[in-house]
Amino acid sequence: AATDSGLGIDEEIKIVKKRQPIPKLDDNRLLSVGGVPRLRRICKERLRFKGKGHEYGDVARMLNMYQLWLDDLYPRAKFADGLAMIEKLGHTKRIQFMRKEWIDEGKPKHTTEIDSDE
Amino acid sequence: MPQTTLDEWTKESQVDPEIRAHVYSLISALGGIGDDGTYALGDNALLCLKDLRKWLKFADGQLNRRDVARCMAEANLVKGDLLEILAKISEKVLHDKLKHRVAVASLELLVPLTWPFEIDPVEATVNHHRHGPYIQLAQIGYKRAILQYDRARILQTAIRIALPSMAIPLRERPLRDEGIIRIALYFIRNIAMLSPPSNVPMDGDEAEISRSATIDTFHEQDIFQAILSVASSIGDEFVTQDVVILEILFYLLKGIDAEKLFLEEKKLSTKNTEELKSLIQKEKAMLASYARHAPSRHNRFGTMIWVKRDEDKVSTISGQDVLGKAQKSMQKMDRTKKWNKPKRPGRKKDDEQSREEFDLPVPMTSSARKRLKTFVEEFLDSSFNPLFMHLRKAIERETDRVETRHSRQFFYLASWFLRAECARRRTIKSKAADQKSAEALTAEDESYGLVAEVMNQETFILLNRFMQKSQDEKAWQDLNAGMKCFTQILLTVQEMSESALEDDQEIAENIQNRIFYEESTHDRVVNVLRSYNDQGFGYLDACTELSHVFLRMLERYSKQNVDLQVRSRKRARKIRKKKAEAQGLDNDEEGHVSETEDITAAQRTVSDRKFDFTRFAAKFVNQGSVNTFVSFLKFYQDLDTEQLKRAHRFLYRVAFKMELAVLLYRVDILQLLNKMIKGPEGLDTESPGFKEWEEFVRHFFRSVVKRVQDRPELVVEMLFSKIPATIFYLEHGYDRELPSRT
Repeated sequence: AATDSGLGIDEEIKIVKKRQPIPKLDDNRLLSVGGVPRLRRICKERLRFKGKGHEYGDVARMLNMYQLWLDDLYPRAKFADGLAMIEKLGHTKRIQFMRKEWIDEGKPKHTTEIDSDE
Repeated sequence: MPQTTLDEWTKESQVDPEIRAHVYSLISALGGIGDDGTYALGDNALLCLKDLRKWLKFADGQLNRRDVARCMAEANLVKGDLLEILAKISEKVLHDKLKHRVAVASLELLVPLTWPFEIDPVEATVNHHRHGPYIQLAQIGYKRAILQYDRARILQTAIRIALPSMAIPLRERPLRDEGIIRIALYFIRNIAMLSPPSNVPMDGDEAEISRSATIDTFHEQDIFQAILSVASSIGDEFVTQDVVILEILFYLLKGIDAEKLFLEEKKLSTKNTEELKSLIQKEKAMLASYARHAPSRHNRFGTMIWVKRDEDKVSTISGQDVLGKAQKSMQKMDRTKKWNKPKRPGRKKDDEQSREEFDLPVPMTSSARKRLKTFVEEFLDSSFNPLFMHLRKAIERETDRVETRHSRQFFYLASWFLRAECARRRTIKSKAADQKSAEALTAEDESYGLVAEVMNQETFILLNRFMQKSQDEKAWQDLNAGMKCFTQILLTVQEMSESALEDDQEIAENIQNRIFYEESTHDRVVNVLRSYNDQGFGYLDACTELSHVFLRMLERYSKQNVDLQVRSRKRARKIRKKKAEAQGLDNDEEGHVSETEDITAAQRTVSDRKFDFTRFAAKFVNQGSVNTFVSFLKFYQDLDTEQLKRAHRFLYRVAFKMELAVLLYRVDILQLLNKMIKGPEGLDTESPGFKEWEEFVRHFFRSVVKRVQDRPELVVEMLFSKIPATIFYLEHGYDRELPSRT
């Protein structure tokens, strides 16, 4: 068929423009460098608590940290919406597994001691 | 084609012209202004009425259209003819046979015309949707005409038409007379039921057809007396009428605050002033909090600020209101985002449910309140027990006349009347305390016998079954009514146990025994609470109240009765295993059937065991119920003191009593609590519950801060609902030691 119409040069090539996919707040994004790993890093640098008598200020500062972190991670969503989306992601297998890992990292290493005892 | 105007064209297309012609000619043959200037019946009025009825029945009913009803509405049949006829002959209805028949015939027309319009999703045709709004508005017009009719008492006439039939003893009453009683009562029900539709704009004065107006008219025309006499002799003289009376009561009482009804005039007015005061105060606080953040210069002042963020990034925010206020600028950054998380469309409410909506409060005029109060008192004294017993039996037997909505209405009304009775006793008591009057004695003398019929074992069984069934079928409105009833029963029992009479105390003890004995009841309350998912505020309010009341009373009860036993369903695994083994040896076909039966029987094995309140309370505290209470608390600006207290107690229990604060360590909850106390749009600082909340949130935040410092893992975990595997570690900082098996 191509030869009939002169190698198809005359035919106009239709370009169907694909819509730009909307970025999603999914587990990949949450686990990427800007996601939870970054949160784990910045909380160590940022969180300075004043302690007794400053409860509200301390919590407000903590909330601000979360808000800015979420804004960097996924600028589209408002704070409350973003939190709801992340909370929902927390129910997936993959994230649950990772959460356990993160917690275990912080645990004192009991198991190895017991092993060496035996 | 001849030129027509738009009006004619629309009319033509909507109603079959032939139907219109027939109906109109019948209506004009019915009668009109006679020689003496009053209404005169046509020669064949009775036949005309019957014909009209046939049209309505056959053309509309069988062809499944609404054309005839619409024609009748357009022709002003109700106001122009039927009411005139009834007014004219109302005096002679009881004596003149022919007049009585004419009256019955017009009533037979009025009932289907005022029958509340509903669109049945299965049956409805285009025709229904086309005529729906018009007919609904017309029906409101009928109601107004009937209530406000100045020359005769239409409702009273309706009852008088039925009087001769009512006078016949039940056994000798022919079917026709039963029918007349029924239509008269249904007429009353229709009038009580009709209310302005929410989806059609109304014109005219809504006060003329409001609940107060209905109650006033019922009082003036002695309808309350008729209802009382039917209700009090139910079972003797009347049998099938119980559901109609139930519906009349339901539509009269739904949404009315039973507590307020029994407040004394003076107290009520002070309460109303207090309410007004608190509302003004609330508004002031709102405006003040707005003014604190409002710009101090005109809106084109054009300030722009940078918010420095890490990695040398900046965000810009415009507007001078954020100058020098870090918190404010953070909020503005969030607020100016355009995108919203798409929400799932809300649950669709079908028409019947929205009409039965009983969570909307109804305002009342003081005259209507007084009259309703008298009626409710008389009803409680004379008719409550017979009617509710009769209805309960009818529902248990699943009689034909009982429809699904009736059990919902039954339980709603049961809770309503229990509440009313408690409120009445309280007012009598307070009066007695005030002044040593004669009433002091009656207050103490009267036992709770007046409402005994809904406080017996049969009702509890029915209620339990009803709640279980509606939960299984996801009939949330039903469950809502069931929960309200259960809560009210608990509260009544509570008041009973504080009664001065020893008999009452004993009975209350007994009832509590029975309620708290079944472990399945405990489990159901927990389950309902934790499985809330978007069923609306009324439901949310009901389920949080139920669990609050239930938990509190169970706690008190189990403290008094240390050796409380409950009946629980034990899973008899061992028996099953044994049975399975035996079957395996036998290995024959017949045994297979009996095996499954055995297993179910074995699983149903019921055993008594000691009840442990702390373990039960622990069941109450889980992520699901926390989520439910948090979604309840999200309405904090609309909650009253009592509701806020309920939420406070629960969260307090979670955080400090059960030591499971880790369930609350979630960023969205922190944000909600922070917003409640620190604003913007927070709780009113002057409100009575504020102090308590402020204290609680401060304590809670302190624990959060401390915990985060101890265990930095929490920073990530705070984003999520906790998983059971890690809760214990997060709370205590070490793993639970599992009992090792040797």
